[in-house]
Amino acid sequence: MNNTLIQFSQVSHRYPGGAGDVLSDVNFELEAGEMAFLTGASGAGKSTLLRLIALLARAHRGQVVVAGTNLAHVKSAKVAAYRRQVGMIFQNFNLLYDRSVFDNVALPLVIRGHAHLDIARKVRAALDTVGLLHRERSMPLTLSGGEQQRVGIARAVVTKPMLLLADEPTGNLDPEMAWDVMKLFERFNDVGVSVLVATHAIDLVERLGKRVIHLEAGRVTDKRPVAASRVSLAEAH
Amino acid sequence: MARATDQAEAKPGFLTRLTQDHARVFFFSLGKLVNAPGNALFTAAVIGIALALPASLQLAVNNFQRLSYSWQGSVQMSLFLKGTVDEARGRDLATELSKYGSVKSTQYLSREQSAAEFREFSGFGEALDLLDANPLPAVIVVTPLPGRNAAQMAELSGMLSALPEVELAQLDQHWLERLDAILRILQRVGLLVGALLSVAVLVIVGNTLRLDVEARREEIEVMKLIGAPDSFVRRPFLYGGCWLGLLGGWFALLLLTLGLFVIDRPAQELAALYGSSFRISGPTTSTVLGIVAGGVVLGWLGAWWTVAKHLSAIQPR
Ligand SMILES: Nc1ncnc2c1ncn2[C@@H]1O[C@H](COP(=O)(O)OP(=O)(O)OP(=O)(O)O)[C@@H](O)[C@H]1O
Ligand SMILES: [Mg+2]
Repeated sequence: MNNTLIQFSQVSHRYPGGAGDVLSDVNFELEAGEMAFLTGASGAGKSTLLRLIALLARAHRGQVVVAGTNLAHVKSAKVAAYRRQVGMIFQNFNLLYDRSVFDNVALPLVIRGHAHLDIARKVRAALDTVGLLHRERSMPLTLSGGEQQRVGIARAVVTKPMLLLADEPTGNLDPEMAWDVMKLFERFNDVGVSVLVATHAIDLVERLGKRVIHLEAGRVTDKRPVAASRVSLAEAH
Repeated sequence: MARATDQAEAKPGFLTRLTQDHARVFFFSLGKLVNAPGNALFTAAVIGIALALPASLQLAVNNFQRLSYSWQGSVQMSLFLKGTVDEARGRDLATELSKYGSVKSTQYLSREQSAAEFREFSGFGEALDLLDANPLPAVIVVTPLPGRNAAQMAELSGMLSALPEVELAQLDQHWLERLDAILRILQRVGLLVGALLSVAVLVIVGNTLRLDVEARREEIEVMKLIGAPDSFVRRPFLYGGCWLGLLGGWFALLLLTLGLFVIDRPAQELAALYGSSFRISGPTTSTVLGIVAGGVVLGWLGAWWTVAKHLSAIQPR
């Protein structure tokens, strides 16, 4: 199945009350089964772009087509069903803080109506993948930021979505954990999941050697991001 | 969108899934209630009072109705005999009538006895003395068998007034008819109060759940973020409304029981003064079920009404 999964055509977006276009004339494609990174300075519009794909916002102008569906035509009553096909990892985790780690990860399966035994098995498998099986009974607030991040990752992958969107998934992780998480995404990608990761971790991006979509002030450019370790170096030139 | 990985594993059927989720939400919402009962108990108490008011009104009407039926039998009928009927014929008639099916006993009062009674009870005795002749007719007082209903009484009175010897048959039950009319009005008032307080219950449940929705805004946002359908997000709140209504219904029953307990003794004493063994009867099974079911239905409706309004306003940012 070697077709286009995500297609942005001349997409512009602005927030109500916002100063100007956050995204302007964005064009890019992501093939089904492809893994790509979304880079750009803070405020460049990475989160906004992911939000458009997850239908958390609708493009102001232009077309966003995902798996053949023009998202502009998805009725609000169908948005939930659409979102269930996408696994999303959020910059600010978005966990339920009054429920255990296990319950948080189980939630997408509960929504889909899986059987209890099935849920327990899948949740444990997902928690095992992110190395948090021993914390399944913990409450999220008793976890470190990095651990909460990994709970969010487990929740996103537990349903084995065909598309994984990750917004800054390694922001709170130590370098080793960050690398493990990126390798984890690569493993998902290896079994056919399409992955789009917004990140500032340029050194990891370079090490993985996947395609990079670089945003600058809301536009896709051919420029490449500069790793933090070399920023001062680049400025010296 | 193809999801090869998911298609291999069969999910439970639609009905199983629905039952499973309802069971989950049932225990989840019950758990929430048990863990943080404060607000819910307060709301349930208010609902209970709102339900107990119309219910006790209805109960009072029912009891008065029973009372008025039991009084109906003790009503007496006075047959005023024509002047042409002499005393011997009058006494014969009284004896005849006492053998009638619905008649318990009869008593013949001659014109002289009537006058004596009038003198004794009316307080207008001197008025009689002003008259040359005794103007009062002879009377047969008919006491019907107890437990006759209004229709049977009307039939009896119709038959007695048709007797050729009888000038006028007077049923001493006008005040009972009045009581009946008052009870009918009270019943209507009960319905009206019930309707108004039902609306109040809707508002109370709605308000409590609105606060609940507000308090769980983040949770709702997260659920919507990961693709929970509205029905899924709504369900715990609907159950919450049902629990509130159920608790409120129980509370109303508790209040009714307490009220009956307090009133029963003096009511018995009052009945004893009238030589009656009348006991206040509590709510019937169907009334009990009605109160509880009414509470649940109102709770559910109130929840639906608010939650539908407020959930759509919450969109993930
Ligand atoms: N809800 C909002 N309302 C108004 N403006 C917003 C909103 N969210 C984001 N913006 C603006 O849109 C621009 C892009 O924001 P976005 O979050 O997409 O950036 P980003 O690339 O994800 O940045 P970061 O790397 O810091 O996460 C910013 O200038 C921001 O101020
Ligand atoms: Mg961002």
